[in-house]
Amino acid sequence: MSVFTRAGTTVLFTIGPFDATLQGVDFAGQTLVRLLAISTAIGLFGLTTEPRSFVLDLERRGLSPRFAFVALATLEAVPAMVERASVIASAQRARGLDTEGSIRARLRGLLPLVGPVILSSLTEVEERSLALEVRAFGKPGRRQLLWRIPDSGAQLAVRSLLMLALVAAIAGRLTGTFPALP
Amino acid sequence: MLLLEGATYRYAGYATEVLHDVDLRLDDGEIVGLVGPNEAGKSTLCLVASGLAPASVGGSLKGTLTLDGTPAAGLETHELAQRVVVGFQNPNTQRSGIAATVFEEIAIGPMNLGLPVTETVARTREAIARLRLEHLVERDPQRLSGGQAQLVGIAALLAMRPRHVILDEPTAQLDPAGTHLVGEALRALAGTGASLLIAEHKTDLLDEVCGRIIVIDGGRIVLDGPTAAVFDDPRLAELGVEPPARARLSRALVERGVDPAVVGQAIASAAG
Repeated sequence: MSVFTRAGTTVLFTIGPFDATLQGVDFAGQTLVRLLAISTAIGLFGLTTEPRSFVLDLERRGLSPRFAFVALATLEAVPAMVERASVIASAQRARGLDTEGSIRARLRGLLPLVGPVILSSLTEVEERSLALEVRAFGKPGRRQLLWRIPDSGAQLAVRSLLMLALVAAIAGRLTGTFPALP
Repeated sequence: MLLLEGATYRYAGYATEVLHDVDLRLDDGEIVGLVGPNEAGKSTLCLVASGLAPASVGGSLKGTLTLDGTPAAGLETHELAQRVVVGFQNPNTQRSGIAATVFEEIAIGPMNLGLPVTETVARTREAIARLRLEHLVERDPQRLSGGQAQLVGIAALLAMRPRHVILDEPTAQLDPAGTHLVGEALRALAGTGASLLIAEHKTDLLDEVCGRIIVIDGGRIVLDGPTAAVFDDPRLAELGVEPPARARLSRALVERGVDPAVVGQAIASAAG
């Protein structure tokens, strides 16, 4: 859109009432590259980093054990919730609940499942928290982590280079070497 | 020694007490069984004797809990955890929910205590060996059968190396072999000087491992004595507790005219 909406002096071509300007193409190109960089970085992180290892490494580097627990428990809770929902759905179907057919019928069948799934999860919370307390979860200070995630010299070198590039980019921006988008 | 004196407990929001003036003493190395009908107060007694009620559960407690001479009332929950542990019936709620493998699940208690890695690993391996869980160590704790999860939950408690262990129906989901395994592990633990209280419907297990049995009904202790004496007590059936097979066989033989001394001798030699 910005190819046509960006104000500019050099008109490249015209479609109806819209002028495509060189400044618009330049702006669109820069925005596209930035979006690509952000989405590639997020995608690469997701594909290469196991969430558990990430949280545990953060804990090793000083993240609060309680915060790490919340993050890890959330990761583990999703498959557990799906499994619980599946068991409850089977139990409800055995009692004649119709969960197949039209969208309307499926939605109608969903209501008797939601309540038991949420309530059974809540009732387990207290016992689960007691079981954690029994295992000294509330002890202040750091807990002992058993595993260190492998960190090779090459990885360290790449990380250092990327950090340098980041510092250079920020410095370039501040000094005007890399100007902001017009 | 774990000593509970004059315990009267009421849950928060409840109008009536669930336990009434209960006295309980667990000596070092002693295994005590706790039986009673449903809603007799077994689970509540487990919570109170472990110090979790009222410290974590809430409610009001009259009476005192003393752990090895230290009043439990002034202890933080993590300090309590280093003296007394409690295991619950539902293995799903025993899982931490943050461990990727069974090994890590069992190690979480020592990890939380901040013990050195070597000590943490040694305790974990010992607990695994006690319950013969070596074949499960790499498994995902969420992908275990009920019985396996129950064994892992007990192993996680053993890894804390507690002085006092309280278990609420620890073998509810276990087959006979698993139940026997737990019995062996509990005996070994008692051999280290730990005291154990086991609330359990499987009276055969209690008959096998306990030196003393307590029967609770309506929140009050109604029988307390040596295992054989309590399980042979005719009042047990009225209280909704099925005696172990040994006691039932013995009673049946005596009722059919067999000399009680001969029955006792035969059962003792069979058990030996």
